[in-house]
Amino acid sequence: MNQALKKYIENVRLWRGVAIVAGVYSFIFCILIIANFTQINRVDPVNTKVINALVERLKENPNDNQLREEIRELDLLARKAYFTNQWQIRNGGYMLMLGVLVLIIALQFIRLATKELPVVSTESSDKLLYTQKTARLWISIGGGILVIVALIFAFLTQSQLKSTFQNAAIASNPEDKGKQEVPVVQEKTEVAKTEPSKVEVVKSTEVVKAENSVNPTQKEVQTQQVVKQVVATGDFPSDNELKSNFPNFRGYAGNGIAYQKNIPTSWDGATGQNILWKVAIPLPGYNSPVIWGDKIFVAGANATKCEVYCFDRNSGKLLWTANADNITDSPVTEPKVQGDTGYSAPTISTDGRRVYAIFANGDILAIDMNGNRVWAKNMGVPQNHYGHSSSLITYKGLVIVEFDSRTNPRVFALNSSTGDEVWSTPRKVKISWSSPILVNTGSRNELMLVAEPSVASYDPATGKQLWSIDCISGEVGPSLAYADGVVFALNEYASLSAIKVGDTPEKLWESSDYLSDVPSPVATDKYLFVVTSYGTVVCYDAKNGTNYWTKEFADGFYSSPIIAEGRIYLMDKQGVMHIFNADKTFTPVGEAKLGEKSVCTPAFANGRIYIRGDKNLYCIGK
Amino acid sequence: MKKAAAYIILILLISFQLYNVFAVQRFPKPEFESGYVQPSTLAPNPRAEALAILDVVVLLVTLSVATWMIIKKRSRDGVFWISIFTIAYFGFFREGCICSVGSVQNITYALFNPNYSIPISAILFFAVPIIFTLFFGRTFCAAVCPLGAIQDVFVFRPVALKSWVLKVLGLIPFIYLGLAILYAATATDFVICRYDPFVGFFRLNASFMMFMLGAVLLLLGVFIARPYCRFLCPYGVLLNLASRVSRKHLTITPAKCIQCKLCEDSCPFGAIDKPVQIKEKEESSKAVRRIILLTVIIPLLVLVGGYVGSRFHENLASVNHDVRLAQELLHPDKTQPESFEVTAFKSAGKSVEEFYKETASIVDMFYIGGWILGGFIGLIFGLTLTSLSIFKYQEDYTPNKGTCLSCARCIDFCPVKPEL
Amino acid sequence: MESSDKKKKGGLSRRDFINSSIRFSVILGIGAIGGKLLTRTQVRQMVWQLDTSKCIQCGRCATNCVKTPSAVKCVHVYSMCGYCDLCGGYFRPEVKELTTAAENQLCPTSAIRRTFVEDPYFQFDIDRDLCNGCGKCVKGCGAFGNGSLQLQVCHDLCDNCNECAIARDCPADAFSRVPSDNPYLFSGYDSKKKG
Repeated sequence: MNQALKKYIENVRLWRGVAIVAGVYSFIFCILIIANFTQINRVDPVNTKVINALVERLKENPNDNQLREEIRELDLLARKAYFTNQWQIRNGGYMLMLGVLVLIIALQFIRLATKELPVVSTESSDKLLYTQKTARLWISIGGGILVIVALIFAFLTQSQLKSTFQNAAIASNPEDKGKQEVPVVQEKTEVAKTEPSKVEVVKSTEVVKAENSVNPTQKEVQTQQVVKQVVATGDFPSDNELKSNFPNFRGYAGNGIAYQKNIPTSWDGATGQNILWKVAIPLPGYNSPVIWGDKIFVAGANATKCEVYCFDRNSGKLLWTANADNITDSPVTEPKVQGDTGYSAPTISTDGRRVYAIFANGDILAIDMNGNRVWAKNMGVPQNHYGHSSSLITYKGLVIVEFDSRTNPRVFALNSSTGDEVWSTPRKVKISWSSPILVNTGSRNELMLVAEPSVASYDPATGKQLWSIDCISGEVGPSLAYADGVVFALNEYASLSAIKVGDTPEKLWESSDYLSDVPSPVATDKYLFVVTSYGTVVCYDAKNGTNYWTKEFADGFYSSPIIAEGRIYLMDKQGVMHIFNADKTFTPVGEAKLGEKSVCTPAFANGRIYIRGDKNLYCIGK
Repeated sequence: MKKAAAYIILILLISFQLYNVFAVQRFPKPEFESGYVQPSTLAPNPRAEALAILDVVVLLVTLSVATWMIIKKRSRDGVFWISIFTIAYFGFFREGCICSVGSVQNITYALFNPNYSIPISAILFFAVPIIFTLFFGRTFCAAVCPLGAIQDVFVFRPVALKSWVLKVLGLIPFIYLGLAILYAATATDFVICRYDPFVGFFRLNASFMMFMLGAVLLLLGVFIARPYCRFLCPYGVLLNLASRVSRKHLTITPAKCIQCKLCEDSCPFGAIDKPVQIKEKEESSKAVRRIILLTVIIPLLVLVGGYVGSRFHENLASVNHDVRLAQELLHPDKTQPESFEVTAFKSAGKSVEEFYKETASIVDMFYIGGWILGGFIGLIFGLTLTSLSIFKYQEDYTPNKGTCLSCARCIDFCPVKPEL
Repeated sequence: MESSDKKKKGGLSRRDFINSSIRFSVILGIGAIGGKLLTRTQVRQMVWQLDTSKCIQCGRCATNCVKTPSAVKCVHVYSMCGYCDLCGGYFRPEVKELTTAAENQLCPTSAIRRTFVEDPYFQFDIDRDLCNGCGKCVKGCGAFGNGSLQLQVCHDLCDNCNECAIARDCPADAFSRVPSDNPYLFSGYDSKKKG
């Protein structure tokens, strides 16, 4: 037995044969595995562009069943290929290992059997001195090459990384410096000089006084006044001017109140009754129109173009189009947005001097009333999975931007004539889609914002946070409503809170019966009107939350209600305007069909309503 | 989204107690009526801690047995079978992690980063082979290191390289070790693990480059025995140094060398020092002058090396994750979509200023590290040059204590029987 | 042999003496380093895990793990799930019909199983054999839902490499070594509490 085994072991021919077979086998498997390797990278199901493209196409024609079948087939194929490939590689690996193992064993046996006796050479082969000399030489050469290559690389790529980073660290925090350098005394005289020449003298001095008493520390007063100076030199409209126009999303101060008169209550898009003109808007957008004088402005954008349009309010003639292109820092690729938010959800704001617009990619621009660009910049791309939708608002020479991005959420103000950042205040909030409102609480002006988890108020001139109260959660879409010292915040899956504003805000009441995820509420001194996206309108007592009435409508609402002449104008998604009294009982005034779907909030002028439908801009009037 | 929202509102109307949950989650967990039992979340436990200790025990046992086989039993077959066991256990069963070669980085990383809690097994995997080597030579390399063992079974047709080639290539591991320590100390990367050529085979799973690197080294190993061990392995450097002062090293002959020259070509690694005759000694005044010269230039080489290293520090630093990110933040490539790194940094909400300051200090660390690394390489070059100028008289065939891997192949070639 | 000869005579050669002293100083050094590190060592073993709160779902977990398929899998934290009919982790965004058809599914390997529980709730399970850890569903669930789908290193699959290949390429620095007695980092859920 032992003898037989030994015979096998020493059978060189046998082992040579085994070795050759195993070698060829291993080689073939090796090649197969490598081929599979390259293939697995080609059919990566995680990034199948083809299927994704087909799904996109299917979205456009949802009834194409052939396409649907094609997608399913492709998907199955891709997954099959992926897993088969993995299976092949794994099992191929085992087979290869087996082959190599046999090969090694065979080769070891061959080596054992063909062991030759060592040959003794008579002369010593390696001379020590020669070895040492050559080794020294080559080590020197090798070391030299190493030094030269390292130095060449070092000098070619020299970039002073350390000082670059240190400078960048200093550069990334420039704000404090700029403020401290301005001498205090001079500012005060500046403020004194500039203030009387500006509109609303009484009011703004009052504000300063109020602030002084509220903030006794010297430093805060100083910084505020520095900002004041910047603000006061700007050219901005008075409150009355703003009220007589419709300059922001949800009107003057963004609060859903229109001060215009003689608003029509009946029209019909189908018959053309009371439709003065209708004009197509070139690019889509869910932003609402704003009005200044005889001009009406809307914005539109798609993945490649962002534009602002100005129409003649009386004739519907397109006066000019301003393109938001060639903006420094603007991202090359557009951020991903959802279809029902789009690239141009934020509404334009205007102060009668310029028109300000922001788009989903973060591009902000100012255009003068004749369509010439004044400034444009990008303050960062909003990190927002649906798409940025907070509208702009202006305040005394400032353009205020609510920027509740996933990263670095903040609110900042730009100088309306130059675009320079005047202040920026970080916010500890989640992403929101709500828009800012401006409120005069009687003692001061406040800028109020809402986003998970809080409603917060800021001094619109300096950006200093005045107060904040935690009361909301989720993906906040509706903006705030304010009336008579109470601000109302709500969001779907959260709750509705009525908050008495002040340095120590106080929750008056809350409710979670009817909530909204898109339309904003609107309030009068006595009543709060909540509109839900699924079609319910509720009237609460503003002070204690008593539910006065609830009315269900057939279609849901995305558009926000506006109060004009004591009536609520509320348009549903089908473009039907529901008009009813803003009162304790539900009294319908009228119902008017636009004949086109709409999700935008209407704009008002004396005797006119302007509505942006899906594709057209309508002017309605008697 | 909207449809789900509508359902949620339905629930809302039914129950009012769910209010508290809203603060945490967008969609509250439903209250099931059908008696649905929620499955538990799968969270399998990791390998038991005791098994890490088992690894250390296995290391100790194999190392002891291998040492006994080499020093006492003088059996090449025994060493071979231990190699097979090592490949099976530390290789295929433990999938190449943890290994002593990589533990160098754990030790360095732990020394420079106080927050890193280094496992005991890593300390022992680092220390035990070195201590064994200090007493018995590189018995770890012979059979216990899975990387060495897998190369060892591929040694079929070893070609004897010229000894000066061995000397020159033998410097590479020092540079590799220096780089590995620099990158581990700066918490940049574990380069030894990253470029471990054989771990892919042990896992039967490797990236293409790793697989090719391993295959090339193994095939090369058929002719040039154990290329990784001799010309790359950074841990081998430490064992090489430790082995030089070993107390009881493997000997070719069990008794007195009879100068039969049979073992001369027996070592596939070229680690046998041959007898050197007195007559080979060169003119003494010339040799002495060279030694003095070389001794003088060692400090100079250290300085030159350090200077070059310090100039090169930015290239070294640009491997660092943070440094690369900071560069990208500073000079964004507008033609490319934003990298994941930048996106992640922005969403983390870390202050840019702080981050730049941190990176500046990392670059600074690399500057110092560059000096030290360069100086170290200069020193190694200087010392090697000096040692190559020393004439060592030698009578017998002996294994070179530094480079000998204690594989015990030469033993079989010696005709001398042990003295009883 | 020379040295052994001398030892027999009871004396130590100069070389032996130097070697011994070097040897003992090296052992002393290793002992010192080892001792110093030991004071910091927690006896427990450390394993790799990714912090879900830092994760940005870049998809590298699927590709960079030394294992194929990756040891990082999507894990479903049932107690956080809203059991939504329209699951952001299961369906592609803006999906038209809520069926399990391929054109509606987000998961590229179809590793999520959707089973009806009761009107209008659905249970979602991850088939670990199919999941490759790409994190697409995690992103979807995080953006539109409760974030109950989370990427985690599954320790029965993980080799616990000395340096995790995903960790060194993780753009968000989300990977870290965690003690092996609490080896999961779910956000909003403690795997230990519920056993």
